[in-house]
Amino acid sequence: MNISRQSIYILSLSVLLLTFVLIFSFLVLIPNGKEYRLKRVEIKKEYKKLKQLSDFSYETSMTLQKLKADNGHIITAFATPFTSARFEKQHRGYFSSLKLSKLEKKENEDNFTVYEVNTTSEISSPKSFYNFLEAVNKSDWIVAVNFPISFKRDGEMINSSFTMKVYSNNKDKVKDSNTSGNL
Amino acid sequence: MRYSYIKPRKKTALSKDMQLLFTFFGVTLIMLFLTYGFLVFRDYRFDQNHTEILQEEKDLQASINMMKLKITSIENQNILSERVFTKNSVLKDSIHNLFDLVPARITLSQAQIMENGLILYGVTPNKDIYNFMLQAPLRSIFHRTYSSFYPLDNGWFRFVSTNYIDEESNDEYK
Repeated sequence: MNISRQSIYILSLSVLLLTFVLIFSFLVLIPNGKEYRLKRVEIKKEYKKLKQLSDFSYETSMTLQKLKADNGHIITAFATPFTSARFEKQHRGYFSSLKLSKLEKKENEDNFTVYEVNTTSEISSPKSFYNFLEAVNKSDWIVAVNFPISFKRDGEMINSSFTMKVYSNNKDKVKDSNTSGNL
Repeated sequence: MRYSYIKPRKKTALSKDMQLLFTFFGVTLIMLFLTYGFLVFRDYRFDQNHTEILQEEKDLQASINMMKLKITSIENQNILSERVFTKNSVLKDSIHNLFDLVPARITLSQAQIMENGLILYGVTPNKDIYNFMLQAPLRSIFHRTYSSFYPLDNGWFRFVSTNYIDEESNDEYK
């Protein structure tokens, strides 16, 4: 059998290149391909998870927006610093006279800062006090009229004294003008 | 002087067979390297996407946590304000009911409303009117009711009515 030298070169080169192709394919391409497939599945899962999180974030944001819109007055009321002068100005119509004592900081209640103010006032009839209690719920602050409440007849007028609790979520933001004197 | 009758053909290093071989393996190798390049690029992009997704998740989670805190805060504010508003309304109704409770013939001079009690000062034409028309309803509301009478010059009585709700059921009444 007579094989030419060129044929031997071609055969050797073919074997060499084929070996390289096979080694490259099996050692590099196939593992990389498998890794690619796994990563593709993984990244799809991550995108899905991200989308779920994004949807949840959107829903939470919508809930927050709705809560903010529905409770605008309350949020503002908790954030507004209490000023005795402004309170007196807003509610003087219900009383013949209204005096607010100095604000005192009380213990925190449900993580809100609570201030207490003693009030003495003069009313012409209990109806004025009922109107005041209705109006205080719509005022610029969250104010709870608290015990003890005292009514004492003084001629045609009724002297009343009561305590008010002012709730705030802004620590040390409550201003006290400590205004006293008949309005 | 010529030694051959045929014309010599040109000999090249790249014979037809070699060209075919190189073309075949060239195309194969190009395809392999392109595939490899594609895989490497995709791998790089996956890593990049993974980092981006993680960062985005982290940002979203932080934003969600922040919003949840705000929601909790607003809900707490809402609960507290509702409690305060209800308390004020109940207080208004309670005072209204208290003054409605007092019959026209009895005149109050002072009323002290406490967290667990009520003290009334006033004048009554006689003890029976007080006992039937004021003390009876007060007894139905309070656990302990004490009354003191002081006769006046005109035959009427000044009275002091002290009423208490016991501590254990105070919350229920409130």
